[in-house]
Amino acid sequence: MSTVKIEAYATALFEIAQADGTLALVEDELFRVARAFESNEQLRNTLSDSTIPADRRQQVAEQLLGAKASNTTTQLVSLVVGSGQARDLPAIVDSLVKRASSEKQQEVAEVRSAVALSDDQKTRLTAALTKVTGKPVNLKVVIDPSVLGGLVAVVGDEVIDDTVRTRLDQLKTRI
Amino acid sequence: MNRFVALLASEDPTITHHWLLPETAEIVYGGLASVIVIGALVKFAGPSIKKSFNARTEKIQKELDDAAGAKVTAESDAKNIRAALGDIAGERARMLADADTQATAVLTEGRVRITAEVAELEAKAEADLNSARGRSSDELRAEISLLASIATPAVVQATLNDQTKNELIESFISSVGAGR
Repeated sequence: MSTVKIEAYATALFEIAQADGTLALVEDELFRVARAFESNEQLRNTLSDSTIPADRRQQVAEQLLGAKASNTTTQLVSLVVGSGQARDLPAIVDSLVKRASSEKQQEVAEVRSAVALSDDQKTRLTAALTKVTGKPVNLKVVIDPSVLGGLVAVVGDEVIDDTVRTRLDQLKTRI
Repeated sequence: MNRFVALLASEDPTITHHWLLPETAEIVYGGLASVIVIGALVKFAGPSIKKSFNARTEKIQKELDDAAGAKVTAESDAKNIRAALGDIAGERARMLADADTQATAVLTEGRVRITAEVAELEAKAEADLNSARGRSSDELRAEISLLASIATPAVVQATLNDQTKNELIESFISSVGAGR
């Protein structure tokens, strides 16, 4: 899909969520859906398979998100899947998150962790990243078991990596 | 005739008048006969005898001259031979000296070459040893690295419990909050 089309979808989703008054929640849920979509090949193939009828793909998406996400989020994902743009869902969501952050004068901070962070940890991490980057951040946490332990934060072009996986890789290189 | 016979008959031939000297007549007759014979010899045989003596003298002289010439030739040959012997001795000495020089040069060159070859072989052996040592070291290091790269993640994952993971997150937040 072209960048223009991705931006168009992102704008549409953004305006729907904003009109619904659930932008912060939807943005966060869509972000997690996009990361799950990226990491799950079977889900990606199923929702992107053009040989499966659109209504069937939408049904699958709605069944998966039904109990875990808000109604708006589920409907937005269903909209993208039904229009045959599921493969570009991560790019659309990233664009939406970036736009939402810009609206709030924030920078998106994508943090990967092997385990979920508590609210207190998220708050302190947000404050720490804001301090180190010099601008307010919109924290997005991705649960990624491959990091093994520790965190890696990507804020714009800056990467702060203190994961066990990276340390192991460095150790392996030194060995 | 009768008288001559009578004379002969009257003398005893076994009896002489002197125990040493012949009879006078015999001396006379004998002397005459000798003169005649000698004269004949001188007249008829003398020239050939003289010629024979001259020829013999010439022959002897020639032989003497030939001998003198042969002596000179022999002396010259002897001189040449002595000179040749001297040359041979000198040539022999020169050849021996050359042979000694060449032998010394070959020996020296051989020693230098062998020394160089031995040094080269030693250096090569040393390099081979170092290379083999390095290879063994590299192989061992690679083996350790492989085992470590396999074992380390498994060991780390086994020791990473939730508490440790939480501590790592707290450490990250503190580190970033402190401005790294």
